[in-house]
Amino acid sequence: MNILNDLGKRILFFDGAMGTMLQENGLMPGELPELWNLTHPEVIENIHRQYVRAGANLLKTNTFGANGVKLRDSGHTVKEIAAAGVRLAKEAAGDNALVAMDIGPTGKLMKPLGDLGFEQAYELFKEMAVAGEQAGADFILIETMSDTYECKAAVLAVKENTKLPVFVTLIFDEKGKLLTGGDVPAVVALLEGLRVDAMGFNCGLGPDQMKELLPQLMSCCSVPVIVNPNAGLPRSVNGNTVFDVGPQEFADSMAEIAQGGAWMIGGCCGTTPEHIAAMVKRCKNIAPTPPVKHDITVVSSYAKAVVFGNKPVLIGERINPTGKSRLKQALRDNDMDYILREGITQQENGADILDVNVGLPEINEVELMQRAVTEIQGVIDLPLQIDTSNPQAMDASLRIYNGKPLINSVNGKEESMHSIFPLVKKYGGAVIALTLDENGIPETAEGRLAIAEKIVAVAAEYGIGKKDIIVDTLAMTISAGQENALVTLKALKLMREDLGVHTSLGVSNISFGLPQRENINAAFFTMALQNGLSAAIVNPNSQAMMNTFYAYCALSGADDKCMDYISKYSMQKAEAVPAASEITLHSAIRSGLKESAFAAAEKLLLDTPPLEIINTQLVPALDKVGTDFEQGVLFLPQLLMSAEAAKAAFEAIRSKLVSTGESVKKDKIILATVKGDIHDIGKNIVKVLLENYSYDVIDLGRDVPSEEIVKTALDHDVKLVGLSALMTTTVTNMEETIQQLHKNAPECKIMVGGAVLTPEYAKMIHADSYSKDAMGSVRYANLLFDQNS
Amino acid sequence: MKTDKNEVLRYLGYRGKPADAKVLESISDCIAELEANTSPRSLNRNFPVTLGADAVTIGGIPIKSRDLRLHIDGCREAVVFAATLGTQADLLLRRYSKINMSRTVILQACAAAMVESYCDECGEVLAKEARTRGLFLRPRYSPGYGDFAITHQPDLLGLLDSQKKIGLTVTDSFMLAPSKSVTAIIGLTAEEKSCHIAKCMDCKSVNCPFRKG
Repeated sequence: MNILNDLGKRILFFDGAMGTMLQENGLMPGELPELWNLTHPEVIENIHRQYVRAGANLLKTNTFGANGVKLRDSGHTVKEIAAAGVRLAKEAAGDNALVAMDIGPTGKLMKPLGDLGFEQAYELFKEMAVAGEQAGADFILIETMSDTYECKAAVLAVKENTKLPVFVTLIFDEKGKLLTGGDVPAVVALLEGLRVDAMGFNCGLGPDQMKELLPQLMSCCSVPVIVNPNAGLPRSVNGNTVFDVGPQEFADSMAEIAQGGAWMIGGCCGTTPEHIAAMVKRCKNIAPTPPVKHDITVVSSYAKAVVFGNKPVLIGERINPTGKSRLKQALRDNDMDYILREGITQQENGADILDVNVGLPEINEVELMQRAVTEIQGVIDLPLQIDTSNPQAMDASLRIYNGKPLINSVNGKEESMHSIFPLVKKYGGAVIALTLDENGIPETAEGRLAIAEKIVAVAAEYGIGKKDIIVDTLAMTISAGQENALVTLKALKLMREDLGVHTSLGVSNISFGLPQRENINAAFFTMALQNGLSAAIVNPNSQAMMNTFYAYCALSGADDKCMDYISKYSMQKAEAVPAASEITLHSAIRSGLKESAFAAAEKLLLDTPPLEIINTQLVPALDKVGTDFEQGVLFLPQLLMSAEAAKAAFEAIRSKLVSTGESVKKDKIILATVKGDIHDIGKNIVKVLLENYSYDVIDLGRDVPSEEIVKTALDHDVKLVGLSALMTTTVTNMEETIQQLHKNAPECKIMVGGAVLTPEYAKMIHADSYSKDAMGSVRYANLLFDQNS
Repeated sequence: MKTDKNEVLRYLGYRGKPADAKVLESISDCIAELEANTSPRSLNRNFPVTLGADAVTIGGIPIKSRDLRLHIDGCREAVVFAATLGTQADLLLRRYSKINMSRTVILQACAAAMVESYCDECGEVLAKEARTRGLFLRPRYSPGYGDFAITHQPDLLGLLDSQKKIGLTVTDSFMLAPSKSVTAIIGLTAEEKSCHIAKCMDCKSVNCPFRKG
């Protein structure tokens, strides 16, 4: 019996809880239940048999936590436990049930918030999945997942290493959110993109709460649905967890769930063979609801889905080095903070999706693209558009992307289609299809439609639906051809009406070579929207484009009751910036006023050389603030507000310096949080202050191995390294790093800081200096480099 | 939930000195942002306690700690407790650290104060429940206090099955992740008068900036 053939013909029944049953049999809290496959096989097999007798036809093996991390100190291998688990379930199943190799979460939190890397998670899941297949499991059930990223690692591990069908269930709360913040549509977009065979809910909630969430799932999910609730919401009685929903009540709710569209139902924590028996009796004659295929064009981040079609989608174009010298510099310097700030600004200004393009001739695009995607998705919860013409960079970044990405791009060339579509099929994604091919860009709208039709047909051969193709009809400047705009617009209309696909455009290309481009761009944007543009690649920081967008939405009915328009424009007022004449640079810094500091610096620049402003105004102001902080007159928040005001003043001064070719950057200093330590606020505070004093800070981030610190120190000839550690357990790594630095870079001085350090301890581990606070590190750096100069 | 602004200021190093209006406003703002974006969760489970010489056994886990032993002296039962603000607080901190460090430190202090007051609220519920059995709570005692090693974090989380239930995990170097989280052992005792006034009383970390008194 192949499970995929049975789906939808009749309701299939999962078994109930394993853990609950094991506790009744004497499993102790904290004990690994999976070890019972070896120590108490008769108990495990007996539980499976009880569920088969109750009428379950899908058994979950007792392998939930049988992963390499949890079994590390158990003396047993994953293979051993999985083989025993599958064998016991199969023996109980006989011909009456199928066996799912059960895979639960690793128990670790993924990077960047935890310390488990994506590929590490992949390897852990791969080991389990392969063992399960070898032992004869009929399919794989990835369950109780609360993190989309971990879920993606698990699905890829199963799909790339086994031939088994893969089902996934996740744990949502009553608001329909995962613990890591994802909602139902985002999860569906990801998992359908990865082409799982079935998906649904388990654990966390009882049947009544899942019943409430089910319509949300059914409204966007086109694959078979699984619902395995707990026996009610857990309740604590005298420190013990109890579940209140009895077998009959459970069965009644499960009947509603089956009628609501779930094809596979069963139980999780607190459910027993009695619950399952009652459910099977009550539900076995319910006919599965016919499948519904939702043609939704959607992309997602870990947290949310962006659906095409309700409202024009804005794709922020600013993370693309073409024509942006500051971004090019940031990419060459590996300055991820600049890129992140660009992303955050676009989000704040209304972008729905961020384009990410890091292509520069002199850089390793595969590495940099992966790094940029990882960093951006760790800070910004918008879906990303992965934009590269390098197939390796595309593959590598789609793999580690946490969601269903927008892919930019494929075109009508055979080579393009056959290199991009396999990636779309494997990782999921909606793809921008450019209407050009081996013969170039057709001059007519009909010619572009013909290419789009070809692309859609080839995509279908790969099993990629039309909903995942977004056609770009190519905006080309009207300065090169008067009819360009009209052809593009007509093509948009054809794509929507004849082919029935969503569309996108790089809107601003239309005005290339003309003066005051925003005039043309905004007008063309309106025309394009009116002709069926679904998504626009634009600069969300452009007031003109955003004005057009909000006005169009209000006029076209996409903005319900004009609420967005009203909230955007009714309260608009000018930023209150005190006139520069009213406040000196010194007092602006002292009071932590960013805008005023910037304005004051600009005013000074009119008649004062930049370096003189730095030496006679900025640095003295910072010194005074620093001293006040050290003396307890000012406190950390104020110190940092002042630092930020100083930074704003520096921005004004720096642009002047760039124009005169001068530089103020002083000596290089490396900052890092040591290996094992994932807390970096202290280090980041130090960074802000050192940069205020013009030091060229190389920030290696957190959890940094000693070898990387030593190598960077040698490569960049750095004379001062600042290390931070927060925990007693990581101070040993600090000591190790210091030892390595002293040995390999003896001229390099080391300053240390962090919650658990004391001056005595710093001396003991041979640090050159201990900083009790952020100013301490500035003082030491000034002392060190002034003496050397 | 009530987050104590004085606690926030204490975390920020004010040591009783007044803060200016700008900082106070930012604190209110950060608390509001945290409340809107986080959903704190907790777990608790009761276990019998065996007291040994400078050691304690709870839920079958032997813990060598003189300070914990002293702290729960006279208790025959204890609550193993865990609470977390979840990943959203960490994500907010990461985001602000890229654009606004002064807000980041304030947010960090607010989150720390918030998880503390959340633990206090949970403690009140536990106290009420204990009282129905004629028992009283000792103050929370966490890994990292005194000689109670943080290497016991995985044991406590394992007893509560915390990853699955509230998403609370521990890294290989024994840091809780999400970071705004607490684990603790709370002794249950029949003595009404608890001699333990503040959790800092028994701690040997005299240099700790958070130390009261």
